Amino acid sequence: MGADPDEELVRRIGAGDPAAVQAMVARKLPRILALAARMLGDPAEAEDVAQETFVRIWRHASGWRRGHARFDTWIHRVALNLCYDRLRRRREWTTDELPEVADETPLPDALPGDDERRVNQALQRIAPRQREAIVLVYYQELSNIEAAGAMQVSVDALESLLARGRRALQAMLVGDDGDD
Amino acid sequence: MAERTADGPMDAGRFAALADAYGSALHRWPPGEQAAAILFADTKEGRAILARAGRLDAILDRHRVEIPSPALHRMIVARAATEIRQERRRRFWWLGFGLAGAGLAGAVAGLALVTVVSPDIQPDHYVMDANATSFGDAGPDADQTEEDL
Repeated sequence: MGADPDEELVRRIGAGDPAAVQAMVARKLPRILALAARMLGDPAEAEDVAQETFVRIWRHASGWRRGHARFDTWIHRVALNLCYDRLRRRREWTTDELPEVADETPLPDALPGDDERRVNQALQRIAPRQREAIVLVYYQELSNIEAAGAMQVSVDALESLLARGRRALQAMLVGDDGDD
Repeated sequence: MAERTADGPMDAGRFAALADAYGSALHRWPPGEQAAAILFADTKEGRAILARAGRLDAILDRHRVEIPSPALHRMIVARAATEIRQERRRRFWWLGFGLAGAGLAGAVAGLALVTVVSPDIQPDHYVMDANATSFGDAGPDADQTEEDL
């Protein structure tokens, strides 16, 4: 594992450096907001998650020590946990288990300019763990090792979640199995 | 977390599995398998697999999220000063409590150690009384004991 590009910034935040705070928000807020928006499908809730994630960053900065994960992976894990809290609350789950089965019914054909809404709907209809895998690897561009670490699964399990998620999205958005 | 590495040329099955999982952009694929994948991507079969995965990628790429508003940025920064100050104060107090606790625990442990380990206070020398001899106590009780034996 190479050097953590965020480590020095975190140390400066812990020491109370206001410039480091500004730099950290500029560097990480777009990523955290995008992660939460795609996980939750709701911009307002995504902003709440981003704010809560940063509160945890501020609280842990002075005591943060690099363990097995890079700082970026750690904040992804924090933000994902906050997203899952909201998904559970929103859907009033009676158990802690979120469903693993996706609703793969094809979505209606897109009207002009409607693609973004269709993709958002499709992302919200796949199983949360599959969505999480796709958001981390495809949109956030974490490496497979980092994404598996953030999800606390093996690389093989991550690849299985990715493949199942993409198949479900393919069925909804492309409308066939993708074969020529 | 183990990283898989391609030992030789990649076969179509593995290439298709990686495209199913990671999509058509090879930079998202596992680093250890990218070199072998790049070679296979140049085959007819490889191109077909990537084209199929690319159709979904093209749709996924249309999903954009809003950039953070300046207001959100300001709110997050404004909260930082308070949270960092409170956390440092909390850590300072916990450190103080920790040191005081460690000191107290050390004092208690030291006292306990002294109590347990130190032998009873013995006189510097044994004062022989009138009934004692160098072979033992020769007093009346000693006689009785010998008779009992």
